[in-house]
Amino acid sequence: MAFRSYARGTAALALVMAAGTAQAEALKIGLVETLSGPQASTGLLYRDAVLYGISKINEAGGFGGAPIEVLEYDNQGGPVGAADRVRAAIADGADIIIQGSSSAVAGQITEDVRKNNLRNAGDEVLYINLGAEAMELTGSKCHFYHFRMSPNAAIRVNTVLDGMKEAGALGTNVYAINQNYSWGIDVQDNTVAAASALGFEVVEETLHEVNKIQDFAPYVARIQQSGADTVITGNWSNDLLLLMKAASGAGLDARFGTAFLDQPGNIGNAGAVAEGHFVSTPFNAEVNAEASSAFMEDYKSKTGHYPSYVEPAAVFGIQLLGEALAQVEPTEDGVDATALALALEQATVETPMGVVSMRAGDHQASLPMVVQEVTRDAVYKADGTEFGFSPVKVISAQDAEQPLQDSCEMKRPG
Amino acid sequence: MGGAQAPAMSPPAIKKGMGLVLDQIIFALLNGTIYGLLLFMVSAGLTLIFGMMGVLNFAHASFYMLGAYFAYTLEPLTGFWIAIILSPLLVAGIGILVERYILRHVHAHGHAHELLVTFGLSVVIAEIIKMAYGKFAIDYRVPVELNFAAFSLSGIDYPFYRLFMGGIALAMFIAIYLLLTRTRVGIVVRSAIYRPQMVEALGHNVPLVFMGVFGFGAALAGLAGAVAGAFYTTNPNMALELGVMVFVVVVVGGLGSMGGAMAASLLIGITNSLAVGSNFMLADALALVGLGAWAQDIGGLLTTRLSSLAATIPFFIMLLVLVVRPSGLMGEKE
Repeated sequence: MAFRSYARGTAALALVMAAGTAQAEALKIGLVETLSGPQASTGLLYRDAVLYGISKINEAGGFGGAPIEVLEYDNQGGPVGAADRVRAAIADGADIIIQGSSSAVAGQITEDVRKNNLRNAGDEVLYINLGAEAMELTGSKCHFYHFRMSPNAAIRVNTVLDGMKEAGALGTNVYAINQNYSWGIDVQDNTVAAASALGFEVVEETLHEVNKIQDFAPYVARIQQSGADTVITGNWSNDLLLLMKAASGAGLDARFGTAFLDQPGNIGNAGAVAEGHFVSTPFNAEVNAEASSAFMEDYKSKTGHYPSYVEPAAVFGIQLLGEALAQVEPTEDGVDATALALALEQATVETPMGVVSMRAGDHQASLPMVVQEVTRDAVYKADGTEFGFSPVKVISAQDAEQPLQDSCEMKRPG
Repeated sequence: MGGAQAPAMSPPAIKKGMGLVLDQIIFALLNGTIYGLLLFMVSAGLTLIFGMMGVLNFAHASFYMLGAYFAYTLEPLTGFWIAIILSPLLVAGIGILVERYILRHVHAHGHAHELLVTFGLSVVIAEIIKMAYGKFAIDYRVPVELNFAAFSLSGIDYPFYRLFMGGIALAMFIAIYLLLTRTRVGIVVRSAIYRPQMVEALGHNVPLVFMGVFGFGAALAGLAGAVAGAFYTTNPNMALELGVMVFVVVVVGGLGSMGGAMAASLLIGITNSLAVGSNFMLADALALVGLGAWAQDIGGLLTTRLSSLAATIPFFIMLLVLVVRPSGLMGEKE
């Protein structure tokens, strides 16, 4: 609450100051997130992270002497709502669109921004993707004005496999179970592709509907039957929780390698069921403890909670954007998106995890990853339980990087 | 099943394989039955309320969610057993208030208004839950003393709690059946459906009967929530997740039919469970008539495995039932 009124205060201040100077318009950022409905929990985390990140930039002087304004739009969780809200944001003068949750929504927004920029050459809009991890966004759908600040499916899968291998937790028989849409299919494909290099066999692959299944017992019976000792899954939210609980109930003796085990509530709900499972994320507070805990505490003092799940990477992404903004001059109506995009390609930011930068070839962020295991020894406990995430391997940005996709044909300006 | 090691098996291995397959089928049937019984627990109240009052209650799955959250809140104070008894009673209280102070006023305006009111109510309940308990899943879990394997078949444990849920659902079915067919209350309730004026003329308080039925139906959903919330997850979306499936069950079974709800629940639970375990694709069926290679070439839907379509099967069943028998498997009302 305190943070919200604080953010509002800054926005109000921004208006007053903009009116005072009255020469250049303040830079406007349109946050098009899922702020209501069943999937709002993640969207609201992105919102906290963006407001925190922008408030830091504003504290340091904002952009062109004026604080940056964040306009919020509710995409209601679907591509249709998002398309509509992106239009509204652009009409309201937003120069940058920010979104994170859902690859389905991101697929819509990135296309809308691309088409808008084709029609309005010279008045382009930038799309900062904070967390949609489907490969196509930096593959067949890549374009010059899209930037992904989070890892993608290839990075998630390869780093978690790598970390599990090193921890001796990666078996020889791997079962890939995923949600049947772009992200889940990407996770499955990358798991299969990594098999020979890491010396395991993918015994079976399963795709299932997204967040519709209550009872995972039949799926677990299938996993059991396949003889798998490791399960790799990109499942998130209820699909991950129910899968793990069903596996534990059936006494399935398999380790889970996941991408989103750290979503708030998961550890609290699963309890001991999650112990010994793995996740690969861009942040863990135990790595580089001094700098990390300073970040943790500062974030908590502003938002009321420790950063978790998608929040750290989103904050790093906004910091990277801030670095790029510092390199460009403000224009009459905000910022020149092309100049900003070129600056973003060169930007680097020092985070507690290491250096985060942007790859010019496909606009995929290059960022360090931390493979973590759920243990009782973790310093920061999750959801008030005795469990937390202990780092098992820190993978540098260079090592985490995955090859450019051939499908990305980026048309550069000029 | 186990396609990779199928060729070149020695006779004992084949025998072992057969045993495995048999175990798999037993598990699939058991899993399906228990899931079906859970669906029944929630849909029983919905179909009961519709049968008695003609109200299609959109907020019904919200009562399921309330049951889980109440039990979670009460558990630390009273222990698990008292919590799963008290929680349905609280939900019944809320159901009674809803009927008395909201639905009764809207009833005169017809079904569309009732639908809208209950739909709005479901949204309000979900938002209140989010405000009170947060947006994420809460740590409502199966108590330790019930968290053990009932038995084990070819290496897979079967959780006792699943059997426990199934047992409660069966007890519930029998109790409702006896209540409606063998008691005076049941006679009054059943007659109030068909001839409300006559029952009123005989000196029975029909609005009170309706209020009671609504409260009872809500309590059934609350009990289901209190029991199943611990096994699955208790989160602000649980009403939404189960709500759709419950409506499918009630439509397939026939609106207002208790037996139909039971049959439809089991049908959906078991087909779903068997479908997940199967590698069947349409191309296999076409291969029988020599079109296998052609189907493989076409790909798409023809080579999609049944297992990845499992969650759509209930809707397919609903479609089929609506086309062939619009009143549902055992429904009387058209």
